[in-house]
Amino acid sequence: MRAAQHRHPTLSRLLPALAAVVMGLCAGPLLAKEVCVTDDADREVCLAQPAQRVLPLSPGATELAFSAGAGDQVIAGVSYSDYPPEARELPSVGSHTRLDMEKLMSMEPDLLIVWATGNPREQTDRLEELGLTLYFTEATNFEQIASNIERLSLLTGTHEAGHKEAKRFRDGIESIRQQYQDADPVPLFYQVWDEPLMTINQHHFIHEVVNLCRGDNVFADLSRRVPRIGKESVLEANPEAIVAGGMGEENRQWLEDWKGFSNLTAVQQGNLFFVPPSIIQRPTTRLLAGAENLCEHLETARERR
Amino acid sequence: MLSTRDLVIDIPERADGVPLTLSVAPGQIWGVLGPNGAGKTTLLHTLAGLRAPRSGQVLLGGKPLPQLKRREVARQLGIVFQERQDGFPATVMETALIGRHPYLSPWQMERAEDLLQARQALERLDLGHLSERQVETLSGGERQRVALATALTQNPTVWLADEPTNHLDLHHQVAVMKLLAAQAADNRAVFLCLHDLNLAARWCTHLLLLYPDGQACWGTAQSQLVPEALEKLYDQPLMSAEINGTRVFVPAD
Amino acid sequence: MSGAESLAPGATLNPGVSVLRKFLPLLILAALSLLSMLLAVAIGSVPIPIMDVLAVVQGEGTPLHQTLIIELRAPRALAAFAVGGLLAVAGALMQILLRNPLADPYVLGVSGGAAVGALGAMLWGMGAAVISGSAFAGALLSTFLVFGLAHGSGSWTASRLLLTGVVVASGWGAVITLMLATGPAEKLPGMLYWLMGDLTYARSPWPAVIALVLICLLVVPLGRSLNVLARGPLQAAALGVSVKPLEWSIYVVASLLTAMAVTTAGSIGFVGLVVPHMLRLLLGNDQRLILPACALGGGILLTLADTLARIMIAPEQLPVGVITALLGVPTFLYLLYRSR
Repeated sequence: MRAAQHRHPTLSRLLPALAAVVMGLCAGPLLAKEVCVTDDADREVCLAQPAQRVLPLSPGATELAFSAGAGDQVIAGVSYSDYPPEARELPSVGSHTRLDMEKLMSMEPDLLIVWATGNPREQTDRLEELGLTLYFTEATNFEQIASNIERLSLLTGTHEAGHKEAKRFRDGIESIRQQYQDADPVPLFYQVWDEPLMTINQHHFIHEVVNLCRGDNVFADLSRRVPRIGKESVLEANPEAIVAGGMGEENRQWLEDWKGFSNLTAVQQGNLFFVPPSIIQRPTTRLLAGAENLCEHLETARERR
Repeated sequence: MLSTRDLVIDIPERADGVPLTLSVAPGQIWGVLGPNGAGKTTLLHTLAGLRAPRSGQVLLGGKPLPQLKRREVARQLGIVFQERQDGFPATVMETALIGRHPYLSPWQMERAEDLLQARQALERLDLGHLSERQVETLSGGERQRVALATALTQNPTVWLADEPTNHLDLHHQVAVMKLLAAQAADNRAVFLCLHDLNLAARWCTHLLLLYPDGQACWGTAQSQLVPEALEKLYDQPLMSAEINGTRVFVPAD
Repeated sequence: MSGAESLAPGATLNPGVSVLRKFLPLLILAALSLLSMLLAVAIGSVPIPIMDVLAVVQGEGTPLHQTLIIELRAPRALAAFAVGGLLAVAGALMQILLRNPLADPYVLGVSGGAAVGALGAMLWGMGAAVISGSAFAGALLSTFLVFGLAHGSGSWTASRLLLTGVVVASGWGAVITLMLATGPAEKLPGMLYWLMGDLTYARSPWPAVIALVLICLLVVPLGRSLNVLARGPLQAAALGVSVKPLEWSIYVVASLLTAMAVTTAGSIGFVGLVVPHMLRLLLGNDQRLILPACALGGGILLTLADTLARIMIAPEQLPVGVITALLGVPTFLYLLYRSR
């Protein structure tokens, strides 16, 4: 996917144009505008002209489309496409796990932004058969978030805004990295869910946020990306801080539950922190805010030593 | 019509006993007598080809049963079971009508004459007024008669019946025995398992005594209705008398 | 309702008339089938005026309407109908084979094997074609496993088959639970939808439709033998039925139908259990009537249920298994209450 970013822009434009001339076609003016990018599924996605009717198929994809500066071209979303606020006004084409194909087709989109592992493959395959253009995203780290925004902005003809936003995001992350790179590591348990108890391993983007703040994810080495674990494992790992996302923006109940375990260092030190899930559990530019929030909490933990 | 050649029925863990070589001719009514567990039902199933014998052969019209198709067997040989599996709901009429199954090709619906035959069979067994009732709502005796009506609809030349008078009141017991006698008189062969010595004495032309150890003897009813042999068969002392030329047996003490 | 009615004393014995009367319900069901298909094509989350629907049927209409009706609604409606029919016929066959009114197409573990195949393919991130193929392979594997184990070394009975099937099904159930418990969170919704049954998986309706037509042609001539078999294997043998071959054919055919159905649309519950019972309550017990009626009745139920699943909380989509039960339970209870 890096290849897409560094592809020579004139070459990718020139080749199809040349081919068209050789074959004696007269579609030159159209082809001259064609843009191609490689998506996260390693497919080449080409549009003859910038997408005017963009349909992101997950809440995260909606945010990426708006970040790419294509907010005006987004014609619909799915359930929980709730950020930025104007996304809430959009019509919905179902939930990201089950799309209403009819509704979707009737919106006549010219670009679908697909969540590679979140949208059902049997539906995206069908959409491709029906001749729609699909762009697959799968952002698992900061760089992919930024690069997705850049690539999407190329497809929507808003690359100026998109590149600016990507740069703002990269710079923001970089400045946090510099701020904390020499801080002492804080052993940390990140709680994704409570029943069953779930956390994240080193291949999850939240792990990258934890790393950025010099937290030390105690479950980094587990094999599954979102492992289900037992309370005993947490007690054994005895993290210095427990961070919970939670199911709502203000649900701190999960943290209260840990207070019963007074042997835990995190409980003794009072290092039970809440980070609103919307800014840390979605791979979008809001991770910047999530990272700042988490880093501050870990600074607090260091001060309590 | 129906005959056996050196037939040994297969009852697990029992010695071979006496191989049966007998022949049930048209017009004869054979009764099988024996205590519980003597193998009466097993014998009946073996004769119908529903169970393989341990050795020997069952012949129907001179041909060994395994050489005949089940369908051909079913056109000649009807059997009334003692235990019935009324697994699925069905009306009395529907139940009787399946007796026509061996005569119809797969695509064929029941013809008018099939319906007529079933109807007549039901009337013959006093079931005409019940023809639309569900079988499972009937009494034991009524169900027994439905089974007989099904066999009658099947119109076999050889009748096998396992305790056909089970569950029946006295009137219907006699009616059923008369029906079977009429079948025999119509040049068909009848082979029954019976518990009631007196019914056997009254209606059967031939008897087969089956002992629990596999021993057996058979012959005309006259030759077999010997009190000593019957006492040994049932391990029960008997008294007998003769009423209007028919022998009657009652248990002594 | 049965042909025997025409035999009331004094009535003429005209089989032609009684056959027509007997199969009249099938004509009614066929008409309802067409109606349900029409409804499924005309109704969706995007309203299309009925005139425009007719225009599309005649090969006209806007490209969008053509896509919605020809590409999305029609294949899905056909698939729903075929799957519903297959499941109901398979259920009726299993009930006769096992002589157990609680039997359904899944009781012998066919759907469990299919589910393990399908969920496995999903865990590997495969597309719909591979999921279907893998589900079919799982269903066949389960069928032959149960077949082989029930056959064993000794004699074979319906109760032994039932026991083997139920135990194998529990085994699959455990594997499914294991897959759900250890599978990655983002795959769970898809897996659950498959388990609840969902026509989104229907790629092409034609295999299921062809299977349904073939089975109808097969069961009608077999119907009377099945009537006899329903009275028990001994009675059936006494009436000239080759019981073992017939029972094995029913088992294999019912398993294949189930495999075809779950392959097309996941394990949709309820249709296979209750549609045969509903139709028995309405039409009596003649399998020659009941089995084709199941093919139509199951089809109607699932087509209507899927239409509702598409539009009830649109644009959100419900798994169709929910609707079949919501529609079927009250209907069935009403019929049961009304009958004696």
